[in-house]
Amino acid sequence: MTHRTRHLFPVIAFLAAAFLYAPLGTQAQTSSTQSSASAHGERWLHVRVISTNSKGETVRVNVPLELAEKVLPAIDHDRLHNGKVRIGCMDCDGVDVRTIFEAVRSSKDGEFVTVQSNDADISVMKKDGQLHVHVHDKKKSKDAQIEVKVPMKVVEALLSGSKDELDIVAGLHALAGQGDVELVSVKDDENTIRVWLDSKNVTTD
Amino acid sequence: MVLLAKIALGFGATMVLAGAYTFREGLLRVDVDESRGQGHHVRVWVPAAIVPIAIHFVPRDRMREAGERSAKFMPLVHAVAKELQKYPESELVEVHDGRQYVRIRTHNGNLLIDAEEPGQTVHLSCPLATIDDVSRELAAFAPAS
Repeated sequence: MTHRTRHLFPVIAFLAAAFLYAPLGTQAQTSSTQSSASAHGERWLHVRVISTNSKGETVRVNVPLELAEKVLPAIDHDRLHNGKVRIGCMDCDGVDVRTIFEAVRSSKDGEFVTVQSNDADISVMKKDGQLHVHVHDKKKSKDAQIEVKVPMKVVEALLSGSKDELDIVAGLHALAGQGDVELVSVKDDENTIRVWLDSKNVTTD
Repeated sequence: MVLLAKIALGFGATMVLAGAYTFREGLLRVDVDESRGQGHHVRVWVPAAIVPIAIHFVPRDRMREAGERSAKFMPLVHAVAKELQKYPESELVEVHDGRQYVRIRTHNGNLLIDAEEPGQTVHLSCPLATIDDVSRELAAFAPAS
């Protein structure tokens, strides 16, 4: 091997290394940007189902809200089109859901519905800009508690579409503007279900 | 002798660069291990860089057929792959159901799917950019709606 050829080795090694590592550097930079974006503005919707039955089923789902917002309009299936779900009973048995919601929205905080029976206790209230639904099911061997908390802005966005549809994308967009919130909590003798919103891309039990 | 050395050097450098480019794009991996029955083991490791290139060699009528079949869900696949690239490290789905287990996550810009059940495990890893490329190619062959 000549002296000249030997001189070429460092050049080729440098070029190869630069080519190999340059994209990794870019990727690392991108990751770091995304990681900080995650800390500053990313909102994640988490679903957790833990079952205490013999199989011990567990379901953990973590979805970035922005991803859901972008992906939902691409789904065209059954009643879901363009990020909106067509529902047939917005005027359920003569009850106009929109009008009721509008009345609730414009009214002050308070408990609007209270049902107490041997089977279940149900209450619907508005508090701190959120619609709270609480169901205490007494029929099961161990009492089941269902808590649903939906920010009024989200309900408003959901109903912002045409009369017989729910605008899911608008609802998600409104949800993204909310702080950390637990939306659904169900506890009974076998299952614990939680749906909540925060800015972490991992779930901690 | 010098000429041979130069040729060898050029060939070696080309291989290094080609290898670097190939592995920069990532690998498409499918591992299937079956411990029941005949116990099949399938290992498919394909450099992701060659997938979009290979698509161009698929006969057009086959691509058209694939495009027609996948037309309904390809926009969804494209949207998911495109958006997931913004989340290169995330746990998306984890399901334990008795002895069955499914995990879907992203790691280093790859979509990883692990599924386990008694007697069978499947591990799939595919760069999200490759899924995006393939979905775009297939969408181009889908009939106009």
